[in-house]
Amino acid sequence: MLKAANRLGVILFPAYDWSISPTHPEREERLLYTSDQLHEEGLFDVEGVREYKPDVATSEDIERVHFCFPDVESVTTHSHLVSAGGAMKAARLVMDKEADRAFALVRPPGHHAMKVVHGSRGFCNVNIEAVMVEMLREQYGVRRIAIVDTDCHHGDGTQDVFWHDPDVLFISLHQDGRTLFPGTGFPQECGGPGALGRTLNIPLPPNTSDEGYLTVIEKVVLPILADFQPELVVNSAGQDNHYTDPITNMNVSAQGYARLNEMLKPDIAVLEGGYAIQGALPYVNLGICLAMAGMDYGSVREPNYDPDAIRQDARVTDYIERLCGELPKIYFDPPKRPLDGVFSGEWYTRHKDIYYDTDGIMETQEESLHLCGNCRGLLKVVTSSSNNPLCLGVDIPLNACPACHDLGLKLAEEAQIKSEYRYVQLINRKDRQYTRYGF
Amino acid sequence: MLLGIDVGGTHTDAVAVDLNREPGKRVAATAKVRTDHADLLGSVVGALEEILHQVDPAEIRRLNLSTTLSTNAIVENRTEEVGVLVSSGPGIDPTNYMLCKQFHTLGGSVDHRGTEVRRVPPAEIDAAYAACREDGIRVFAVVGKFSTRNPVHENTIQAGICKRDQPGPCRDADFVTLGHEMGGRLNFPRRIATAYFNAAVWRLYNQFADAAQASLERLGLGHVRVHALKADGGTIPLEASRTRPVQSIFSGPAASVMGIIALSEIAHDSVILDIGGTTTDIAIFASGSPLLEPDGIDIGSHPTLVRALKVRSIGIGGDSAVRVLGDEVRVGPNRLGPCLAAGGCHPTLTDALNWAGLSSFGDLEQSRKGLAAYAEEHTIPPDLLAKKAVDYAAEAIHAACRELVEDINSKPVYTIHELLEGVRIVPRKLYLMGGPAEALKTPLFERFRLATEVPENYAVANAVGAALTRVTTGIELFADTDKGMLFIPELGVRENVPTRYSLEDAKRDAMNHLLGHLKDLGLARDGSRAEITHASSFNMVEGSRTVGRTIRVTCQLAPGVHRLAGD
Repeated sequence: MLKAANRLGVILFPAYDWSISPTHPEREERLLYTSDQLHEEGLFDVEGVREYKPDVATSEDIERVHFCFPDVESVTTHSHLVSAGGAMKAARLVMDKEADRAFALVRPPGHHAMKVVHGSRGFCNVNIEAVMVEMLREQYGVRRIAIVDTDCHHGDGTQDVFWHDPDVLFISLHQDGRTLFPGTGFPQECGGPGALGRTLNIPLPPNTSDEGYLTVIEKVVLPILADFQPELVVNSAGQDNHYTDPITNMNVSAQGYARLNEMLKPDIAVLEGGYAIQGALPYVNLGICLAMAGMDYGSVREPNYDPDAIRQDARVTDYIERLCGELPKIYFDPPKRPLDGVFSGEWYTRHKDIYYDTDGIMETQEESLHLCGNCRGLLKVVTSSSNNPLCLGVDIPLNACPACHDLGLKLAEEAQIKSEYRYVQLINRKDRQYTRYGF
Repeated sequence: MLLGIDVGGTHTDAVAVDLNREPGKRVAATAKVRTDHADLLGSVVGALEEILHQVDPAEIRRLNLSTTLSTNAIVENRTEEVGVLVSSGPGIDPTNYMLCKQFHTLGGSVDHRGTEVRRVPPAEIDAAYAACREDGIRVFAVVGKFSTRNPVHENTIQAGICKRDQPGPCRDADFVTLGHEMGGRLNFPRRIATAYFNAAVWRLYNQFADAAQASLERLGLGHVRVHALKADGGTIPLEASRTRPVQSIFSGPAASVMGIIALSEIAHDSVILDIGGTTTDIAIFASGSPLLEPDGIDIGSHPTLVRALKVRSIGIGGDSAVRVLGDEVRVGPNRLGPCLAAGGCHPTLTDALNWAGLSSFGDLEQSRKGLAAYAEEHTIPPDLLAKKAVDYAAEAIHAACRELVEDINSKPVYTIHELLEGVRIVPRKLYLMGGPAEALKTPLFERFRLATEVPENYAVANAVGAALTRVTTGIELFADTDKGMLFIPELGVRENVPTRYSLEDAKRDAMNHLLGHLKDLGLARDGSRAEITHASSFNMVEGSRTVGRTIRVTCQLAPGVHRLAGD
């Protein structure tokens, strides 16, 4: 009888009745073959491996993280609440010690969803890892969390949500933004003024294979995690680095994913992208499940696997070696000032133009952080988009100092009185108060 | 008239039921003999003879038989050596599922869509077969990963074993079980175990079936249609079960559960408790139908694809020992019977029920004396001891039921609709059967706070269940219009389909094949109970073009009985 070395909870939720559109990559069929493979393997009969239903996230779970304009209901469907709920369930299994590790095999993904949500970008509406992280903080008192995003696309949404949060270490390994959506994720992007070095971007050249990824994990990611000492490690386990993925150019195999997971030892993994649904996902997901459970994954191979055909060339290896020499400095010796933005008195302000490719929305945003010196700082976002007129978001962080707390309440109240904004949202983590005005 | 025989661990029960009589008088004859484990057929014949003293053999139409034959053979390790040949492809190493000495993993792989990725090397088949022959092996189990999508490897290996180039009987093996015949569900390790056990009990089962049929001839019952009971609360014609003997395993609990359906009108979500000497078996009904294990039953520690009612056993029964541990009183899980009332030497739950005035079983004097002595030994008033023991038993049963219902309600689902709108089971009624049922009625009612019923005739419910249980069967259809192929593993049906083949076509075909299968079994009349339980169709997209559909349809005859209660 097979037994897992680590008790693994798997939240498999293929959402067989939801798609963005019938032939969209994010369609009903996406996890069908993965589900078939896992069931044929008898994975859930292995002692210590158990399948669970997802939770369903509530509006409050979403509002704890995002400014949704005009409101949560307008920018999400049930599918988003279920995939966020799947990530939450994974976290609960681990925190409640029902499982040593958990894998949320859910769709749709979330890592392109930013702090402000006007619609869908990169197939994502709400950031499912962020919803999970803030639930963990509110309900389990967890503070320091590391998110390692191994999706082929830059996790720009997760980066944006945690930009000013020094307690979340966000590391993204992705195909170089000069060659792939969303075109961001350069090492210079390393966090806001209060969280410099807590965002680390590792852009990898096209055709990077298992070897390159594992080198980066070993030489950059693991030493930084050892220093940061997070209470939990989360892997945003996108699978579009696979050598058969139709929309990217990387060369990772199921063996590489499994090994990566074995080295990283995440407490929680959350599926993100990955659209080679027949040739990659069934094998990659099986490899990840076995690696998380501490089981042998040596025989997990794609039907057309040929290590020689996907080996990275020497120039790629050289480039990655050089990256590995430079990148740790960003964490260990971060720059003194953020990449962009303006300091003016007690405020730091940056301007952003954001394009929502999936929904075709343009957003213009001005984000300001109150530099009080006593806490993470009050966050204020003024935003408008092709979907919504001028809106305001105010975020009072969990550990806000009295000054930031009062300032936040005052800003929200003034905005209401002046009616300058069509919608106003207040995230008051200190008092667990999530309020919307102007509806 | 319908006959049911349940060969149990202690007794063999038999009943004859006449559905033409007026309600309340339909049980025409009953019999109970001790089970002789060395001669199960003798026990069956003994019970039959008693019945035949009471009814006319000519009136008997059908005999349903529940035996522990295969179960015991497996438990007692009296099964035949099997040669297991598996082809697996990528994934968990199948040597983890090695069940026997002659277990051979061959190369070759078929993927999740049923595409053959690599052939099975013929030399490996020959070598494995030669090793089995060397060991004198005559029965085989052949299993491929994803063989329920495409059985090509199982068929190739079978041909290799049988050394045959044309259809016909196998010369060099007595029996070969193919994995895909065990059911269409995806689960390679379960398929291996199921095929293995099927081959391992094949000879024994067929010898028993031969002998049973000869005995029936001798008793003037040659005209009777014989069915074997299955663990899923249904039956299979004896002839059909000869190649699927594994289906006859663990049919005992199912007989009791089906008995209670026959004896009562179960309409709501309900809990059924069969309280025996050693254990209490819990079964759950949803809207009046018994729930099945989602995948299949475990044999030994091996999960299989054998469909079974979801029955959970806990170690609380009439013979469970009552013990004092510190301030606590516990009952079970070990059995220390018989009870004092039946001449035992340690107080059991039955004695506690006697003391509490809830029953008056056996020798009350001995029962009371022994319990009082044990209570004094542990410096606890006997009233309190009895009360705490009964409370403990009721509470343990209640907790196990709650856990089981919770477990059922947390079963994974894969659509948003099912997740948000899915039906939850909320038991409304409690049915009790077994020896201590009447005595535990009030204590259990106080815990569950549900309408509680103890049906009449519950003492022979198992045999009544056996007699009245109807045939169950199920098939799964898998179609891939890109490949232009449909496959029904259980029936070995593989046909071409056109590219425009739709979900509606697949539903119709699945139903027609199921009805055809029933007709072949001589059970055409049962076709009216056939239902489709799952139907899904996914567009398969390559690039941004739809290249076909993958369609899955499941249809079945659900467990059911000829009703005894009312009309």
